[in-house]
Amino acid sequence: MTTPDDVDLDRVWTNVAAEVWRRHPGRLERTAAKLLRSPGLARALLTTPSLLLPWLIASTLVLAVGALAQVGANQPLVGLLAPAVAAVGIAYAYGPGIDPAWELACSCAVSDRLVLLTRSVAVFAVNAMLGLAATAVTLGTRAETHTAQLTFGWLLPMTAVCALTLAIAVAFRSAVVGAGAGVAAWLIVVFARGTFSAAPGTPDTGAHLAAAITDPNLYLPYLAVAACCAAVVYYATRPQRGTQ
Amino acid sequence: MNIELSDITRRFGRNVAVDGVTLDVGTGVLGLLGPNGAGKTSLLRMLATILPPSSGHLTLLGRDPRKPADRREIRRRLGYLPQNLGYYPSFTVVEFVEYFALLKEMPPHLVPKAVAAAIEKVDLGPKARAKLRTLSGGMLRRVGIAQAIVNEPELLLFDEPTAGLDPEQRVAFRALIRDLGQTATVIVSTHLVEDVGAACSEVALMSNGKVVFRGTPEELTARGEAGQGVGDAPLERGYSAILAAARSAS
Repeated sequence: MTTPDDVDLDRVWTNVAAEVWRRHPGRLERTAAKLLRSPGLARALLTTPSLLLPWLIASTLVLAVGALAQVGANQPLVGLLAPAVAAVGIAYAYGPGIDPAWELACSCAVSDRLVLLTRSVAVFAVNAMLGLAATAVTLGTRAETHTAQLTFGWLLPMTAVCALTLAIAVAFRSAVVGAGAGVAAWLIVVFARGTFSAAPGTPDTGAHLAAAITDPNLYLPYLAVAACCAAVVYYATRPQRGTQ
Repeated sequence: MNIELSDITRRFGRNVAVDGVTLDVGTGVLGLLGPNGAGKTSLLRMLATILPPSSGHLTLLGRDPRKPADRREIRRRLGYLPQNLGYYPSFTVVEFVEYFALLKEMPPHLVPKAVAAAIEKVDLGPKARAKLRTLSGGMLRRVGIAQAIVNEPELLLFDEPTAGLDPEQRVAFRALIRDLGQTATVIVSTHLVEDVGAACSEVALMSNGKVVFRGTPEELTARGEAGQGVGDAPLERGYSAILAAARSAS
């Protein structure tokens, strides 16, 4: 018979505490863990500020407003907004100086670069889905013939803008700088390309602004920018010098 | 040996942070002493597989950290507390420790008990569900210690672990690392000589990137009595005597 002297109270308490403090992962985290085959990667994915509810709501609102404006004015706003929205998300995805626990994460078995990549892809995918949903709202407008082109046309520029934003965020160790630079770069591309493609004397329908996402001549430069920025991220996330 | 360093050097441009260090460390607690800029943190970061050496050979837990598969296995069996602990303010203590248990690829079914045990070991049970933003500096340090020990590592690296701890907690921490040192290799980088005297079975003293002394705390004390060291405590005198000798030699 077990007497009180035989009971390891510390062990009992630890078991009780483990049950009381146990965190129950949500459905999204459980699904991500199955898909990624790594509970650690799933948890790391969901800790990114980019995927937190306020950011998601803000992105949805921005693209919804863009979609409504497109319906009213026949402006290609959804396609033009999507890369900028994604850029902001990517800037807040991950990186040294952005993630306070970066150094600790670097010493863990789950690769820090894999975490970075997974988070970036997640932000990119969420933005693409939001953009697709927003584009669906614009069906039936005068821009309908261009809808498919616009929907898929933003993917390449979005890749380039996101890569640029992530590279700057990581290099300058500031999500704000990365987001600002990404959005600014995208606006420059949109307006510069729009000005170049607008025929003199024609009414401003906004269609020329869409050149940034419809012009096939830009596809190669977009890919080149994305590749260069990926190299910058790789270089900027190399091991850094200690403090002593 | 859990740690085997052979002529390890780490350069940052023209600056040599770690200069040809050769060191073998087995089970027990090794105190790493040295002034600011001696190369302690760079050495610890190389042992934590965060920083690759510029030259030399490094073996940790019998594996080569240059190989990705070996590095991953080392990291599973590693605990590391950096000098500046970054944290997520909105996380609770449990969430933070659990997060790193998962990143260390602990089997998920073992995580809750391991997290509870680690939090209890650092005496943070009453604060287990508190947000990190509400904790004091000393409590955050203990959270950092908890995440380092959660996976029952075979190699533990602590960079200034007692910074911010009150005297009572420092005594408790020394007891904890003495206990951990029974089965693991524990390296404690510190400025506090009394921590070394109370908790470490061995001492290595670094100066200008080199290890200038390796021995027991008693041997360090003896150097102070024989040399021209200054300080209030015998260990401090030994520390300063060796540093003075190293500086005059270079």
